[in-house]
Amino acid sequence: MNKSTTAAVPALRLTGISKTFGSVEALKNVSCEIAKGEVIGLIGENGAGKSTLLKILTGIYQPDQGTIEINGAKTKFRGPRDSVLAGIGVVHQEQSLFTNLTVAENISMNSATGRRFGTTFGIYRWGKLYKSAAETLEIIGSNLGPRTRVGDLSFVDRQMVEIARAIRVDTVKGASPIVILDEPTALLERGETEILEREIRKLKDLGSVIFVSHRLDEIMRNCDRILVMRNGELVADRPTSQVTEAELFKLMVGHESRATNHQRGKVNPDVVPVLEVNNLRRKGKYSDISFAAHAGRVTAIVGTSGSGREELSRAIFGAEKFDGGTIALNGKKVSGWRTPKAVRNGVAYVPAERKVEGMVGTFSAAENIVLTHPGSAAFGPIIMPWKRNQVARKWFAELDVRPNDIDQDLERFSGGNQQKVVMARWLNDPKLQLLVLDHPLRGLDPGAAETVNEHIKGACTNGAAVILLADTLEEALEMGDDIVVMRDGNITARFDVSVDDPSTLDLLERMV
Amino acid sequence: MTTTITKTDTASIAQKATADGLRSRRAAKLWGAIGPLVIFIVMFAIVAILVPTFIGGGTGLSIVASSAAPILLLAVGQALVLNIGSIDLSNSALTVVGAILLAITLGPLGAVAPVVVVLVVSLFGAVNGLLVSFFQVPSFALTLGTLGIFQATALVISNATTVYVSQNGGVVSPLYTTRIGTLPLTFLLGVVVAVLAWLMLRFTRVGQGMTAIGKNESGAIFSGVRTRALKVTAYALSGFMSSLAGITIIAQAGSASPMGLGSDLLLPGITAAIVGGTSISGGVTNPVNVIFGALTVALVPIATAAIGIEAQAQSLVYGVVIIVVVSLTLSRNKNSIVK
Repeated sequence: MNKSTTAAVPALRLTGISKTFGSVEALKNVSCEIAKGEVIGLIGENGAGKSTLLKILTGIYQPDQGTIEINGAKTKFRGPRDSVLAGIGVVHQEQSLFTNLTVAENISMNSATGRRFGTTFGIYRWGKLYKSAAETLEIIGSNLGPRTRVGDLSFVDRQMVEIARAIRVDTVKGASPIVILDEPTALLERGETEILEREIRKLKDLGSVIFVSHRLDEIMRNCDRILVMRNGELVADRPTSQVTEAELFKLMVGHESRATNHQRGKVNPDVVPVLEVNNLRRKGKYSDISFAAHAGRVTAIVGTSGSGREELSRAIFGAEKFDGGTIALNGKKVSGWRTPKAVRNGVAYVPAERKVEGMVGTFSAAENIVLTHPGSAAFGPIIMPWKRNQVARKWFAELDVRPNDIDQDLERFSGGNQQKVVMARWLNDPKLQLLVLDHPLRGLDPGAAETVNEHIKGACTNGAAVILLADTLEEALEMGDDIVVMRDGNITARFDVSVDDPSTLDLLERMV
Repeated sequence: MTTTITKTDTASIAQKATADGLRSRRAAKLWGAIGPLVIFIVMFAIVAILVPTFIGGGTGLSIVASSAAPILLLAVGQALVLNIGSIDLSNSALTVVGAILLAITLGPLGAVAPVVVVLVVSLFGAVNGLLVSFFQVPSFALTLGTLGIFQATALVISNATTVYVSQNGGVVSPLYTTRIGTLPLTFLLGVVVAVLAWLMLRFTRVGQGMTAIGKNESGAIFSGVRTRALKVTAYALSGFMSSLAGITIIAQAGSASPMGLGSDLLLPGITAAIVGGTSISGGVTNPVNVIFGALTVALVPIATAAIGIEAQAQSLVYGVVIIVVVSLTLSRNKNSIVK
């Protein structure tokens, strides 16, 4: 390869990109360059303009101003197809694969030119299709079978398929692919993250990578250079070696990270725990689960995706059945445990699948807040809209939800602000005693995550017990008072953080 | 300080965006609120211009309202079921069952008969709901099945003939004969239940829960909404509306038969709900607008006859008008799939 030309001509150059929606300037004069073989970190709060920038790169939006150059040649993307032809591939946070089709079909689905990939005039030639898919998988070092149905794959394997699809363009014209990884690790467990990080290093040899993540430690580990966006502007463009995590946080959010140490409460042995789970089991998911959650304490359950902790947390909320064992609230065994009953007993659940399970997207934010616990917004069965708006305004102020428009459909808010509203609807329960949180910070920018964490701690201070399924072990250690480690449906260890002070390695050893 | 400047910038941008959003949302909301009324008025005006005698002494409106009454009752029930994301194909069959039951029982039971009919038919509706929510049979398939069962029931209890009210017809007939202005009580009954249904959806936890189910059922489940109980309630209410429609049929005709009045109200009922802005995919309805939906659906065939369109062309006109009207009023947002 001719080094001098690659150095002179960036794989991608953006000059003065601006984009306005109505009266909102989503992007203001953004310029940057990405060299071949470079891994760029792109960070910013929700609503900072990252998604708009990505959508311009993938041809979904057209910029109002500014130019895009690929390998030094000016280009215009009239639609996603043009972007694919130029070598830009995206791995989405929420996967966009066809789960009922095979790996090979999924990989070829994106290719703009079919012939070499196993179709002729749109007719599938299966042998060729499988062969070329296997070749692509080999390039990224994956040993997935091209005939496997994507629906049968694990999450990280599916991401491999997405990556294979994204680099497919490489074999089209010898163009170097630019792979955009849009929060690829947000939904991954720890071991899986490492697989992905290895993959990123491999992609460097093939082309360029734009890595979008809210996890600053990952950005620091994997990227050569970091771009920070705030309010639609590129506020920093720094080599990784010249910046610290704390600086990045400040650049993104606009203020320094607040101290996160919280007072860890002591367990009072005389007080009945809020939740006692005894020998709970569900066939094929978990067995013999016994633990307690105490008022004012956060119990973090850690484990990989097959550990059964998700199923366990849903059983505690009454959303999934269990085969045997007991759940007791304040010393009283529960029976006929279903979500409406759990809710009436002051149990709250924030699911990981926020958009599907956590909220009613086409209800306004205010309606969502009072749907579960209307509190003062209802007089018996009657809901009073003006009181509802009062309640909603109170929570909007408390949690700093933006934009400050309680009548807007909840689905139109950014992820972080949606999660604040989801938190508000549970915090609006005056009898809240158990808060079950399944990945509450998933997809949240550090600012929103900070707000949500503050209110989790606030709920603790007000006497609720919290069960936390954290995104990362670091988060579990930071937030948790008690840590329960699960592996293959069993509890393998328990720690009292203030006494045992476990390290991430201690936890990891018992997880896998 | 630069930070303060950017802060006010974002604040003003956010404010502007909010204002923009508000404006477009208000326009959409306004059309959603008055669209069906506007359409009915426009169509009525067109008919009145073409056939000036149609409005003479309010006769046109009176005929349309009489014909709209049973459609409206069924449509309000259907709207409540559509609102939870389901459908009730059995409602018109239930209406016929109710009408035949009433024709049989009015003689022996007198004024108690309508109460019995309302209770029994509402119970049948609740059974639909129980089966849908506890056995998780898709509502389309389930109510298609109960449609057949109720039709058979109607045949059995009527001996497959027309049943005439033998005595006490006067208990219900004033519903049809009494007029306020030019409108029969049957229609006004429909208006009252429509308004009550609207109040329920808008101002009660039950109603909000139902709408939540229609918009996102798993979201509702995880919000602790009592989804099963509310589904049963919606179907029971649909049964209740069917029983009222059955009563209006006896009030109007004094007799009922398995294939007679009321048996062909299923599709007009669904159409009226949709013309009234109800979404077929659930979560969006306004029972007050269903009133105008029912009036529009009743108006079209009457108008085509009054204008003197040939019989063969009347169905064509009906079809075209319904497509146009539905495309104007059907609630959709860009992300939802219109099924």
